[in-house]
Amino acid sequence: MITFINQSADPYYNLAFEEYIFRTVREEDVFLVWQNSPCVVAGSGQNLCREVRPALLRRLGIPMLRRVSGGGTVYHDLGNVNYSLITAQEGPTDYEKSLAPIVAALNRTGVPASRRGVCDLAVGEKKISGSAQRSADGRLLHHGTLLFETDLDMLERITSRGKNAFVRSKGTPSAVSAVTNIQPHLARDMTLEDFKTRLLAELVPAEKDRLTLTEAQEAEVRRLRDEKYHSWEWTWGKTPGFTFDREGVFAGEHFRARYQARRGVLSDGEIVSPVIDGEQAAALLGGARLDPEVFAEICRTLAGDRAEELLELLL
Amino acid sequence: MEKQIAMPKLREEMTKGVLCAWLKEEGETVEAGEPLYEIETDKVVNQIEATERGVLKRQLLEEGDEAAPGAPVAILETE
Repeated sequence: MITFINQSADPYYNLAFEEYIFRTVREEDVFLVWQNSPCVVAGSGQNLCREVRPALLRRLGIPMLRRVSGGGTVYHDLGNVNYSLITAQEGPTDYEKSLAPIVAALNRTGVPASRRGVCDLAVGEKKISGSAQRSADGRLLHHGTLLFETDLDMLERITSRGKNAFVRSKGTPSAVSAVTNIQPHLARDMTLEDFKTRLLAELVPAEKDRLTLTEAQEAEVRRLRDEKYHSWEWTWGKTPGFTFDREGVFAGEHFRARYQARRGVLSDGEIVSPVIDGEQAAALLGGARLDPEVFAEICRTLAGDRAEELLELLL
Repeated sequence: MEKQIAMPKLREEMTKGVLCAWLKEEGETVEAGEPLYEIETDKVVNQIEATERGVLKRQLLEEGDEAAPGAPVAILETE
């Protein structure tokens, strides 16, 4: 087992880093430990507009990303530790093969974790880790979260209570689980840095197997970050088709908004409100890109000072 | 000759898969072994390769659609 040290906390860079290693390391098994600054990461086939409230996340300044594996939407912050295990794909996909070494390493580190369901790890009844996989070109990427000292109030606000009930969509829905942090369940107290160090030492004990990317490899990661993970096409353009229909109150008056989106482009947009120009709204929404910044601009045009209030109703 | 491509059964317990990405558009040529589409089952995204060369004539599922193993996914025009 080898590792590539990645000290970045930029989620766009980190998803590109992992994908680059997955695509280019063809022989050796790889284990990665990495962390993201606050962000939301959706599964490959998910609709972010259903899984979270994009307007809320925009207001909080939390970026939304899409990853290459399956599964549901997760919240990351610097209290969460991500790991990746990249191996040869042999036989049908099997979570046990990937999770067994992780559980063993956690147990030896002093975390009383056990496997629960298909791909979750739990301490007692509560989830501490979710995982997902990607299988391509004979290689298997298994990766997961480890809630060490994550802001669980923020996690629940964004991923459990933040579902968008106004979106009817295809695609993979997320499961909602009761979660806990690892830190309070440790036999002996440990800082997050100690935890990362010990986890890595369990899986990649030899110093010689801890590698860093060359400057040329770094450049490739940055290219993938910019061309894929920063692109609208990947994050929003891949959104499964959906319809949005919401009634509510805007500026103290009854309000209704409806639209459809296919491949991230809106059609049949309609806003019914006594204080909004319906024709202008239909014209602006028609053909608009599904993108929180585009929506924000439309709301500024339609509602001026009340743009934020309108945005929270529209997305 | 037109050939139907079916949803593969990737594991014994698999009852359905979600087509989560097309990697070729209709009208494009795909080589044997080249990635054609991706399906998700049990939180695993699997890249599926074409088993022979041909032109992707029709995508029978949209991204986000769910289907059982054996269900038609695409029509490939082979030489």
